[in-house]
Amino acid sequence: MTEQEIIEKTNRVFEESFEIEPARLIPEAHIFTDLGLDSLDIVDLIVALQSSFGVKIRTDEKVREIRTLGDVYHFIAAIKNGEQAE
Amino acid sequence: MIGRLMLYLFNFYFYTLFLLCVIALIPLFTIFVAITRVFSTHRNTMRRFRRAMVWWGRVVSALPYPFIKIRYELDGANDISKPFIFICNHRSATDAFLMKVLPHEFVEIVNDWPFKIPVLGFYAKFAAFLDIRNMTHEQFVEQASRLLQEGVSIVFFPEGTRSKDRNMGNFHSAAFRLALETGTSLIPVCMTGNEIVMPKGSSLLRPGTIRVRQLPPLEWENISGMTPFALKRRVWDMMNRELSTMESAA
Repeated sequence: MTEQEIIEKTNRVFEESFEIEPARLIPEAHIFTDLGLDSLDIVDLIVALQSSFGVKIRTDEKVREIRTLGDVYHFIAAIKNGEQAE
Repeated sequence: MIGRLMLYLFNFYFYTLFLLCVIALIPLFTIFVAITRVFSTHRNTMRRFRRAMVWWGRVVSALPYPFIKIRYELDGANDISKPFIFICNHRSATDAFLMKVLPHEFVEIVNDWPFKIPVLGFYAKFAAFLDIRNMTHEQFVEQASRLLQEGVSIVFFPEGTRSKDRNMGNFHSAAFRLALETGTSLIPVCMTGNEIVMPKGSSLLRPGTIRVRQLPPLEWENISGMTPFALKRRVWDMMNRELSTMESAA
């Protein structure tokens, strides 16, 4: 999966599950302060990302480090790359 | 200089009366509720106790009148036949007292600090106000659902803390999840002027008019298909628009 495909698919999750306008979906957007998610919404986000990318996401330390949309792209990319390596 | 002196005098006047109310009225309310408890069920006692707290709030907020006026504006009619979840913006420490305008039996969702206030904290705990910071979401939903089933409305300040300025902060989603999980309708409440009467970071009261504007309910039937996030954004947008209108009219 290319980086662009990951970005597009992740953005689609934010648009469809959270009804966030595409114009606000920039890599620098802070998930909490700019996009308005809270800790409970993160659980919904993980569920939606799992379903969209067909991956299993553990709510470990790396998830807690996510701050921006760019962090989400990198996080998903790391999981997908890990899958390919396996 | 004279203005400052007047402000201190006004606050001295208010806080002296406030203290007298604490000393005189709270024991009176307590004795009244304790005596009626003997002849009544636990549920009715709690109803009476919460009513007494509302009356206490009414007395306290009447103390600074006419220097501080509170205008309650109701858009439509109040339905007290069922519990609601009230969604309020939060600019001032006075906001918890302003809820005394509501005719419903209610509890407030608060952080842990109100429970630390001597006397009042004990009463808040006894009335089953919920300290959302010190419970898991599951514990919170369980306790809040029980209250709603008993017919008790729940008042939220979903910004979680007082806003730094007139811009409303992002909402936490707990209130909206609770509404969707329990099938409860929401009522947005917009407050302005409170940030002038008692600004964040100050315990001095200043003269002014506070407007408490209750918007029409968002009935459960009309919101049930929404996600918690979409619902909280819809309510945030609605309240943000209303606050702008209220402030442009001021």
